[in-house]
Amino acid sequence: MTPRRQSTIWVDRFDRSTSIRAIEAMGGAVISRLQLAGRTTLLFLEACAQLPLVGRSLPTLITQLEISGVGSVLVLSLIAFLTGMIMAVQTGSELEKFGVVNNLGAIIGATFVREMGPIWAAVIMLARVGAAMAAELGTMAVNEEIDALRVMSISPVRYLVMPRILALVIAMPFLTILADWVGMLGGMSVAVNMFNRPSEEFWTSAKGILSGLDFYSGLGKAAVFGGIIGTIACDRGMNTTDGAEGVGRSTTDTVVLSVIFVLLADLIMTSFIQVILKPVMG
Amino acid sequence: MSDTAHQANITRRETRKPGDLRPEEWTRERWEAAAPLDPIPPGKSTLMELREVHKRFGKRHILRGVTIDIYRGETLVILGGSGSGKTTLLKHLMGMLRSDEGRITIHDGSNRLELGAADQAEIETFRKRLGVVFQGAALLNSLTVLENVGLPLVEVDRLPPGQVLPRVTEALRRVYLPAEEILQLKPASLSGGMRKRVGIARAIIQNPEIILYDEPTTGLDPVTVNGVNELTLDLQAKLGVTSIVITHDLDAAFKIADRIAMLYLGRIIAIGSPEQIKANTNPVLRQLLTGATQGPLTEAYLTAAPGSAAP
Repeated sequence: MTPRRQSTIWVDRFDRSTSIRAIEAMGGAVISRLQLAGRTTLLFLEACAQLPLVGRSLPTLITQLEISGVGSVLVLSLIAFLTGMIMAVQTGSELEKFGVVNNLGAIIGATFVREMGPIWAAVIMLARVGAAMAAELGTMAVNEEIDALRVMSISPVRYLVMPRILALVIAMPFLTILADWVGMLGGMSVAVNMFNRPSEEFWTSAKGILSGLDFYSGLGKAAVFGGIIGTIACDRGMNTTDGAEGVGRSTTDTVVLSVIFVLLADLIMTSFIQVILKPVMG
Repeated sequence: MSDTAHQANITRRETRKPGDLRPEEWTRERWEAAAPLDPIPPGKSTLMELREVHKRFGKRHILRGVTIDIYRGETLVILGGSGSGKTTLLKHLMGMLRSDEGRITIHDGSNRLELGAADQAEIETFRKRLGVVFQGAALLNSLTVLENVGLPLVEVDRLPPGQVLPRVTEALRRVYLPAEEILQLKPASLSGGMRKRVGIARAIIQNPEIILYDEPTTGLDPVTVNGVNELTLDLQAKLGVTSIVITHDLDAAFKIADRIAMLYLGRIIAIGSPEQIKANTNPVLRQLLTGATQGPLTEAYLTAAPGSAAP
């Protein structure tokens, strides 16, 4: 009996200490994630508070608009056009079996305007601009450039963060409009050349299903995605430590976190639009 | 020896400064102890007053009671080995970190500013009296030399471009740089020494009262090191600023300092004129000055947490 009791006590102690350690580790991870989320939210709010001073950051804003907006046009057009074509090939083949290929425009149009346009614009913006933004600010943090701004009493949020986030929020809806049109153009080219449908039928079918709400909600989503990507990129960049390795880590974190939060925001906004807005607005 | 003579001997020994102890009298407790504050010399006034400043990052205790007076118009060099807390101390002096315990007081005539209790507006007002020369110059790589040096004038003083250019040109000339040739260059096109000088030009453009130098000569060749040292002395003489230089470059320290303070394990363990520091028998200082591989500094390095003062 005695050895068995000792063994049980030892196992109890082992289990208890292991469980406590596991709970502590989980608790620590949750707290650090919440702190991170809190810090990022505060950065966004601080950037919003600096908006009245946007006039002083106009040169940076214009540069950032050029980098994020104009610089993304070509690659986004190419990707949207190819995606539109691929979707048309896949969907058109199935629709043809049921003799309803005349609805191809509606499907491609609805998919692009409601989802693919904003999401592709976000993906391109994240890959081209968000990651570069995190790396740029990360390098500045490591080289003490951000400390230098603070010492000169120049707010890094006003000087660096606000114009970058604002540039993404402004550029994203325009890029989304571009992705919508070019994507549908790609779909139409397949409808005309592969399924021998007239182009008017494609556009009429698309217009038939799309409403103003679809169009404007897509643009709204795009602006929110821009805000999310810009805020995460600036936060991760500004808080970079540990030299070159830290810059790499910030860039990776920006990409991973932005994808997660963009999709999460998309789910929430789409649910809101479909469940609440659409029934109200008809 | 009679009791009276013995007592007199003890009293004499106790009134000696710690730096005057014979080598065999040093114990760990004595060489790690904070140096006593000297009375303010005649004709000098205190600009910054640090009292028992402590800073912890998690379990790491970086500053462990820094106490020092910084006099107006002097060049104070703070020496210390790697991980002794030099950069943490500098960030406290810039108002970028707040101490966990103790206080940092800035004197401005009859006004006093407690940095630890100051709000953001007060800290920003104080920073206008401050110029900082960062270790790597910390120039913004996307801006030209003109934009970098003129940045505080444009962004803080809101001066029009017409007034910025002459001030930038003047600041660059003060640091012996060919202004016209480099104004439109980006920092990446400059040599390390030129970048450092541009950093100094930016630090002095608002005519600061205090200049903080973070390892100003690190990574520079001997000729450029001499140039930076002479520039520091020159600015001191011409502008009459208070300079606080954080370094572990001994040659530079002895060349430019009015006083030298030794930071070890987060405390000022010795302070005095360059001659007093040279004569100080504290084993930590002796090891730093002689470059011996064995001694208290080595022990501190071996037990130190990475990037910090020893625990």
